[in-house]
Amino acid sequence: MKSRSRMLPGRAALGAAVVLPLALMFGAGAQAAQWENGQELYDNLCGKCHKPEVGVGVPIQGRGLPFEYVKAIVRNGFRAMPAFPEAYIDDESLAQVTEYIASLPAHQPKQK
Amino acid sequence: MSEQNNGVLPRGVTQQEFNAAVEKFRALLGNENVLVEQQQLVPYNKIMMSVENAAHAPSAAVTATTVEQVQGVVKICNEHRIPIWTISTGRNFGYGSAAPGQRGQVILDLKKMNRIIKVDPEMCYALVEPGVTYGQLYDYIQENNLPVMLSFSAPSAIAGPVGNTMDRGVGYTPYGEHFMMQCGMEVVLANGDVYRTGMGGVKGSNTWQIFKWGYGPTLDGMFTQSNYGICTKMGFWLMPKPPVFKPFEIIFENEEDIVEIVEVLRPLRIRGIIPNSAVIANILWEAGSGNVRRSDYITEPGHTPDEIQKQIQKDTGMGAWNLYAALYGTQEQVDVNWKIIVDEFKKLGKGRIVTQEEAGDTQPFKYRAELMSGVPNLQEFGLYNWRGGGGSMWFAPVSEARGSECRKQAAMAKRVLHKYGLDYVAEFIVAPRDMHHVIDVLYDRTNEEETQRADACFAELLDEFEKEGYAVYRVNTRFQERVAQSYGKAKRDLEHAIKRAVDPNNILAPGRSGIDLDTYKS
Repeated sequence: MKSRSRMLPGRAALGAAVVLPLALMFGAGAQAAQWENGQELYDNLCGKCHKPEVGVGVPIQGRGLPFEYVKAIVRNGFRAMPAFPEAYIDDESLAQVTEYIASLPAHQPKQK
Repeated sequence: MSEQNNGVLPRGVTQQEFNAAVEKFRALLGNENVLVEQQQLVPYNKIMMSVENAAHAPSAAVTATTVEQVQGVVKICNEHRIPIWTISTGRNFGYGSAAPGQRGQVILDLKKMNRIIKVDPEMCYALVEPGVTYGQLYDYIQENNLPVMLSFSAPSAIAGPVGNTMDRGVGYTPYGEHFMMQCGMEVVLANGDVYRTGMGGVKGSNTWQIFKWGYGPTLDGMFTQSNYGICTKMGFWLMPKPPVFKPFEIIFENEEDIVEIVEVLRPLRIRGIIPNSAVIANILWEAGSGNVRRSDYITEPGHTPDEIQKQIQKDTGMGAWNLYAALYGTQEQVDVNWKIIVDEFKKLGKGRIVTQEEAGDTQPFKYRAELMSGVPNLQEFGLYNWRGGGGSMWFAPVSEARGSECRKQAAMAKRVLHKYGLDYVAEFIVAPRDMHHVIDVLYDRTNEEETQRADACFAELLDEFEKEGYAVYRVNTRFQERVAQSYGKAKRDLEHAIKRAVDPNNILAPGRSGIDLDTYKS
């Protein structure tokens, strides 16, 4: 399983040095805001609803959705879909996930 | 530098005062962490409640990354009397999401404080910052092959332990009562002090996440569902990963079966035979989370008739009530308890038992099994597709774990919801003695008339339940003042006395749980 960038060892415990001498015991203590890449964001967030096999959100892969459209939906939300501020998903990660989902095969609904 | 362009100000704050505070926020946090443009603030204003977005529009949002910055924000707010609404991940869907409780409050977004400070696999605890999500923590545990397990609510993949626990949310494992498993908080107070609960104040202590009570008054609970401080670190206990995990479902055909289900279940929970926060989901909850949509069966407005619900049962094999629980431990432990459970339900003579082997990868069994074993997913968001339109408010009264009480509450809720043309979509989350009777008031928020109906319905649910001595354990920000009234004057007087003592300028989330020095009249 891949690592998320925000999990990498980073800054020391902020203002917590007195009580957290073992804070980095397992290499934790990271702080970062970016998602590692488009696939990581899709697998861990968007795809939890939108992957075709989940069936909660509409499939978004392989549809060539433009970045501005993806950004508008993510920032505004849409009906039950929550909105995500930049603190949660930055623009760069949105661009990466847009590119990634466009690279995936389009969902082919089963014939009824 | 961007200018504020959304025309929203905090209550009682002039534009000049607001601008002065914004300048100080920028100096403290950097321009990129002070958001004042409408397009930047839109994500913080997406709500699912039965009121216009404008009622919960923020005037600004600031993001902090350190405890020192949080202290600085509090100082500025005191200087300019700016009210702030703190969020951790902002995923409190159906309870207010990321939006402020009152129009104009400045959002303090702690999502970027996302360090997993420590996971101790021997003592079985974690210490994290507010922006850490359960999904992030799950990945960390998997990547490091740690023998511990998480407990979380259904929006697990994207919500976080600090926010959920501070709102006294629940999960589905043996550690499902999350606040009970919390151990040690760090809280920034309104005066800027950094207070650590329990053993956290003892220099050199290594028991902050080990022993909850410390010495003297134990104050952790005071900071939950309240506005007395800003939690910047939280410890909580983790369950050891069991060698054997056995999830199961028992399907019951009739609505009236709830009485007997609960009477059989309660002794099993109190005795610890069933160790986890089991659930009893009704047909519409089961259907929604299993990707069945109302429009598959009926397009007429109003509530879904009983005969349609029966048809869904017939078509899907789902029950009127669907009990999900699990066993954890060694094979021997699981075998012993499994036999007891099977015997008890055999004696009842009702209920079809489904094991994981029989269910395979079918939904909703799969996501239920994942939630009971600490594997994040978002499958339960399928509920939002049942009726569609993005309206959702949780009505969650507490009930005795007594069959007759559960039946009474279910009937009351169904009657009120149907009166307003809405559905009874419910689950009971089963503790040994209580039930969280969680009802998703689902409605089409794109339909103004239906939104107004949902609003009136929620108000009537609160009124009708109060008449019978029932109250909710948690509520969305639209109705928090109303629910505070249910709990009585003495409690409210004390809460405001504490507020005057710890936050005299009323800067921390005024209105949270009905605590607001500007509006409360004893």
